[in-house]
Amino acid sequence: MANPMEQFSIEPIVPLDVAGQDLSFTNSSLWMLIAMLVVAAFLYIGTAKPQLVPGRAQAAVEYLYDFIRDMLRENVGKEGLKYAPLIFSVFIFVLACNLLGLIPFVGAFTPTSHIAVTFGLAAIVFALVLIVGFAKHGLHFFSLFLPEGTPIFVLPLVAAIEFLSFLSRPFTLAIRLFANMTAGHVLLKVFGGFVVALGSFEALPYVFGIIPLTVNVALTALELLIAVVQAYVFALLASIYLNDAVNLH
Amino acid sequence: MPQFDPANFTSQLVWLAAIFAVLYFAVVRPTLPKVGRIIDEREGRVAGDLDAAVAAKGEADAIRTRYDDGMAAARSAAQAEVGAAQDKAARAAEARMKDLAAALDARTAEATTRLAGARDAARATLAATTAELTGEAVARLTGLDLPAAEIEAALAAQK
Repeated sequence: MANPMEQFSIEPIVPLDVAGQDLSFTNSSLWMLIAMLVVAAFLYIGTAKPQLVPGRAQAAVEYLYDFIRDMLRENVGKEGLKYAPLIFSVFIFVLACNLLGLIPFVGAFTPTSHIAVTFGLAAIVFALVLIVGFAKHGLHFFSLFLPEGTPIFVLPLVAAIEFLSFLSRPFTLAIRLFANMTAGHVLLKVFGGFVVALGSFEALPYVFGIIPLTVNVALTALELLIAVVQAYVFALLASIYLNDAVNLH
Repeated sequence: MPQFDPANFTSQLVWLAAIFAVLYFAVVRPTLPKVGRIIDEREGRVAGDLDAAVAAKGEADAIRTRYDDGMAAARSAAQAEVGAAQDKAARAAEARMKDLAAALDARTAEATTRLAGARDAARATLAATTAELTGEAVARLTGLDLPAAEIEAALAAQK
């Protein structure tokens, strides 16, 4: 059986070395590029001729954009709408990477199954929160760590806990997405291995392989759901964190 | 796990930064606000149309109220006119009745007067006739031709 971790290996396509740093264009880069191009096609076609009564492509773009704007309106308020394009970019990039990585047979790679990529995306969100928070509230932003109504003698402890939980946000954000993607793909690969292992019994060829194959079909549906849900969760948490920066609780 | 191999990190982060920057600045920023404007415009248009519909409904309601008021006013005016006409007719009839009654009363009174006159006349002639007849009867019975004045005096004494 093939190693289920093999699918995550990063293979350079165009080796590139800049000042001793390996910056090769890899399969991960390729699929991020494909995701970006798919999103670009989706958006450029959808907004080519914006009309008051939208066509199919425009309606699809509007649907997703409205979804993000409603999420920001609910979690941040009217002020949050300014950040809709950035949150939308994060959401649709994660969504495209997650979904494209599920395509079978084409050697698809899921960039979001790598902690470096998910951490990079989480860092974008974290940086946005810090920049907006300090730009809007200055040093007053630190009052985020001092919940109102806390008794004075536990305040240092609460502030320390709040500060740690704030610092852990980019990591939890990154690890949640990476772990979900990795686990899903490992599961698919493991059951794929079972299909080969059980299907190659000499006596009854293929018969036993049907069971793990069925499981794999169901798992693929589940992974599609998880791909969408994780993109949603990522954007939702981003907007909740943004709310802290804009409104300080 | 290849995920935890730090040798891959730099390449992935650099490519992510580059591709995400292109996605944000060259794909999302030039396209998405167009849709946002359209959505806002549509919402404005729908809100405007709804406002216009509400205004039109208010206008229709006002017209309806005005029409109802006009109808009510016309109805009450017509009723007042009918009442006045009825009143006038009743009064005219009453007046005519009164005139008629007065005329009848006058004629009754005249007739009564005439009757009384006739009676008095009859009564006056009755005395003369009685005296004449009495004279004739006295002349036939006694052969005396008494003067009328004497007879009359005698009759008056008999009464």
